[in-house]
Amino acid sequence: MEIKSHFHGQVAIINLAGRFDAYSAPQVSDHLEKLLNQTPPQIVVNLEEVVFVDSTALATLVQAMKRCRQLEGDLRLAHLKQPVRMIFELTRLDRAFEIFPDETEAADAFQPAEA
Amino acid sequence: MLAAVVAAQRGQFMAIAKAWLAAGATAFSIWADNTKLASWPKDINLDQPEMRATIEMNGADIGELHVHGYNNPASQTILNAEAGLVSRLARMEKEIKGMTARLIDTQDQLLAVYDLTEATRNHIDMSDLLRQLAFKTTQLGGTEGAFFLIQNPQNGSSRIEHFPHPLIDDEYIHHCLSRVRDSGQEILINLRDTDYAKVGLQNLLFVPIRVQDEINAALGLINKRDGDFLSPDTKLARVIAAHAGSRIEHLMLYQESLEQTKLQVEADLAQRVQLNLLPKSSPNIKGLDLWAGSRPASQVGGDFYDFVSPQDRPFTFAVGDVSGKGMPAALLMAMTRTVMRTKINISPNPTPELILRNCNAELYDDFTEVSMFATAFIGQYHPQKRLLLYANAGHSPVIYCPTDGDPILLEADGTALGVLPVSLAEDQCLTFKKGDVLVVATDGFNEANNSDDDLFGYSRLMRVVKHLSNKSAKRIVEGLYEAISNFSVGQPQSDDQTLVVIKGM
Repeated sequence: MEIKSHFHGQVAIINLAGRFDAYSAPQVSDHLEKLLNQTPPQIVVNLEEVVFVDSTALATLVQAMKRCRQLEGDLRLAHLKQPVRMIFELTRLDRAFEIFPDETEAADAFQPAEA
Repeated sequence: MLAAVVAAQRGQFMAIAKAWLAAGATAFSIWADNTKLASWPKDINLDQPEMRATIEMNGADIGELHVHGYNNPASQTILNAEAGLVSRLARMEKEIKGMTARLIDTQDQLLAVYDLTEATRNHIDMSDLLRQLAFKTTQLGGTEGAFFLIQNPQNGSSRIEHFPHPLIDDEYIHHCLSRVRDSGQEILINLRDTDYAKVGLQNLLFVPIRVQDEINAALGLINKRDGDFLSPDTKLARVIAAHAGSRIEHLMLYQESLEQTKLQVEADLAQRVQLNLLPKSSPNIKGLDLWAGSRPASQVGGDFYDFVSPQDRPFTFAVGDVSGKGMPAALLMAMTRTVMRTKINISPNPTPELILRNCNAELYDDFTEVSMFATAFIGQYHPQKRLLLYANAGHSPVIYCPTDGDPILLEADGTALGVLPVSLAEDQCLTFKKGDVLVVATDGFNEANNSDDDLFGYSRLMRVVKHLSNKSAKRIVEGLYEAISNFSVGQPQSDDQTLVVIKGM
């Protein structure tokens, strides 16, 4: 799994590529963990290049999203392609996450954090 | 050297001297560096010799044989031959001395290794081992102190243990390690020119240690008590380093196998927890043909199913999947199952929606605490109206196959338990006629993969369900297991595969 990240203003954007499964989840989790230090954590995960997600991957995203919300931030998803979108719909995680068509829109939807 | 030969072989020299005296010589003597080593007769004033022969070793003169009061050209040849033999004796004496010294060195090293082996035999903790090694090295090496460093090549983290206390700081030790890494040779550092001289440190012998073929460890001997580190000290340090390397490697392997055993025990326990909590048989429910199955993966996940038939209340069943694997998933699954049972048995009017809402409320904090969640499907059969009431918290796949139609995937409307503080799942209703089939499986089915890495997927699952739908619930369960086994033949099962099948009778 390939993980790249950059900042759009104060919002951290992570681009994932490949299979997001039990094998690659710890890597993503470590990456997300580091971003939880900013206050409030504002993270967008771009899943455009992700071809597969399994339940461990979903758990990783849910865990990070809950942590972000506990810290008054959020983790949002962008650019879900089939069949990844289908997995989110079937598990109804599309009701738990805020999902956007692209990463810029997702990042812009964050209120700027107070200085 | 010649003096030692003369002392050791005095009898032989005397025999030679006697022969010369018998032949007519007045005296026979042996000399080295213009000093008489021996003469026969013993106390005699010697004039200039009539015959002399040089004793050589490796091209250098080391002495002479003298014959006094007798001269004969033929005898000179004999004297030369005798000098040649003495040369050879001297050379052999030197070799023996060298061998003896090496033997003593080896003996000392063997004793040191024995001592070290005994002292470090029972240590199963890395820090303890390194501390003990540092202590013994200080003793054996006759130094003021010693330290051992070990570095994890994966993450670069390191551990340093000192005896009796840190004399050299960590940064300097790491600097030394980087110096020896390429050469693989020990280095002798004069500390007199460094700041360490201020605290009385003079020298440091730093020896690299190979662990699993790489230089990932080192030992340092600090301040030799009786002067500088010499060649025997270096040799001893190398022996200690080699021994320490093998002990460290041994302990690492031991810890690794211990870790694997622990994991295996945990996996076995998790599997037992999981299997023991599943119903042992399917209940008899009027109007329903019911069957279930669960095949745990080698690394157990948190799948579960349950049948609850409270008195005077409708039959309720549940299928769920806790995220994650191993013991944590098995424990959370046990907890979820217990909470769910309690809600079904105790709540006043426990519809599936209410059960899920109450479960979520009770489990949300715990799930959040351990960063997990659980999908759950709850069904409730009302025989009078032949109705199946259900609610679905993020669970899939759930396939409904009416007797007179095509199978459809019943999608969840709620998120899994533990994802959001409130449950979004609502009661849904299905009429459940004779021949209608409901398959509630876990994602181990649709995510089963074959050798080409293709997933079994939803469409294939639905086709198989349709194909099997005229069979009994038991045959449908068996047929679905057969289908995924055939599909993923030769592939390890990566997730639990659990399902409940209900058929209208």
